[in-house]
Amino acid sequence: MNARTIRAGLRRGGVEYRQFLRSPKDVGVGLIGTVGIFLALAISQRGSDWPGTDTPKASIMAAGFVAFSVFSVAIMGLPMTIAADREEGALLRVRSLPGGTRAYTIGRVASALGQILTYVALMLAAALLFTETRLPETAGDWFTLVWVLVLGTLAVLPLGIALGSLMPGPRTAANLLSVPMMVLMIISGVMIPISVMPEPVQWVAQAFPLYWQGLGLRSALLPDTMLAAEIGQDWRTLETAAVLGAWAIAGMVLAPWLLRRVTRKESGSRLEARQRARAAQASY
Amino acid sequence: MEVLKGPAVEVRGLRMRYGDADVLRGVDLEIRRGEVFALLGPNGAGKTTTIEILEGFRRRSGGEVSVLGTDPGDGDERWRARLGMVLQSWRDHPKWRVGELLEHVAGHYDQPREPGELLDALGLAEHAGKQVRMLSGGQRRRLDVALGIVGRPELLFLDEPTAGFDPQARREFHRLVEGLAADEGMTVLLTTHDLAEAERLADRIAILVGGRIAVCGTAAELAEAVQAESEVWWIEDGAERVSRSHDPSRVAWELHRRYGGPVPGLRITRPTLEESYLNLVNEKEAA
Repeated sequence: MNARTIRAGLRRGGVEYRQFLRSPKDVGVGLIGTVGIFLALAISQRGSDWPGTDTPKASIMAAGFVAFSVFSVAIMGLPMTIAADREEGALLRVRSLPGGTRAYTIGRVASALGQILTYVALMLAAALLFTETRLPETAGDWFTLVWVLVLGTLAVLPLGIALGSLMPGPRTAANLLSVPMMVLMIISGVMIPISVMPEPVQWVAQAFPLYWQGLGLRSALLPDTMLAAEIGQDWRTLETAAVLGAWAIAGMVLAPWLLRRVTRKESGSRLEARQRARAAQASY
Repeated sequence: MEVLKGPAVEVRGLRMRYGDADVLRGVDLEIRRGEVFALLGPNGAGKTTTIEILEGFRRRSGGEVSVLGTDPGDGDERWRARLGMVLQSWRDHPKWRVGELLEHVAGHYDQPREPGELLDALGLAEHAGKQVRMLSGGQRRRLDVALGIVGRPELLFLDEPTAGFDPQARREFHRLVEGLAADEGMTVLLTTHDLAEAERLADRIAILVGGRIAVCGTAAELAEAVQAESEVWWIEDGAERVSRSHDPSRVAWELHRRYGGPVPGLRITRPTLEESYLNLVNEKEAA
């Protein structure tokens, strides 16, 4: 990969991130909506602790929603934009350019990173302003906050690219991904501690990165009294790093291969055929 | 550079099979450097399939293909950088601004054209700040051409470039392509189902019917090769009679001799190139 490809990719990422900021749907529904739901839930629970933990429910949700923000941008937003790019022919266009597919991937990753940063910053700001949540006080907790956010992002971004490569179109992506994502949100401790879930459900949640990222964030943002409501009464830092790292590696191996495979399949006549099929469907 | 020698495109016995259907049954083509070459044929003749194989977007079932000295199946990024392509109906990047997209695409090449100048040349300068989805069909196609040539390609593919254009937009587009070929010395391969377009733009035309090249040559050579029979009409015993022949002059001469003077109601109609072309297409498709 040469410097020109990287520059082209970063430029693409910048343009797409600005498009996100200017899109009423992405900002109004996605960003403000997610933060709004968090605030509504957190404020309704203000002043009340989770039993036996001395920890405000609102702060538990703050950590959970930060993790969920990263997760939803990567696992829902990113696949939908890739599927839309494919439907509109952007994947075919980049295929016709030297270094185009690589620049495209860099661009998609860069703009998703920008969105994740925006979500996380806004979510944290809302939590600090409107709930009892406080930023970490020790250097160690700050360090945890940063590495969990970074590794958690690495665990889901490649996965999002892989999912986007598999989706036939943006609507299908939304239909296929939204329900599993909501289920994971409920069972992974985003709003209520996972320890209240039945054990089989806990196992399912622990197979996915969302739970582990939330756990890591809680270890950085919440007091150790919270451990009373965690599995094994332990922050399980090593396990967190191992599971998130495993997802990151799996995604990084899988995603470039899948994306290359779908871009290679794109051609003008296939694009045309899909657009015709969609037009026919729309006219029913 | 060795790449400057030899034809831009060389195709021998190209075959393409989808399932049980043979779309291309042995296509032979040679496109010289610097010429505008039209691949003419009815819809479904395999023009787009051919062009997609040459672009390296589709794997062929058989035959030999060389594009700028490289087999498109093994084309690397350096090879790709020497090609430009305008596909039938790009609808990509609708939310990007025109100038933004052109600059981004230019950023993939070593020695791109200056995007601002290119927009100017294609009459898009005033739309540089517009979102791509706001462009009209003709403007969009001009942008596609700009995106196709911003990297200074040696070979430009135009797949049905004027499909869906009104006559005015079509004329403007023809002038644009003529200018590109004349000023830049670019090799252009265009596909079209419109004979008039091929005649107007191309140095040479190949007619693709039923998965094979039926005829290939200049418009004049083509006219000769595909010329359908002329009709000689006259009136005999109060009824109009007709005789079809490739040599209508001889038929007329024989009639004159038979009548020993003027032939009543003599009329000779020669088919236009268009009629000859359609005739050829019908013959080949029926076979």
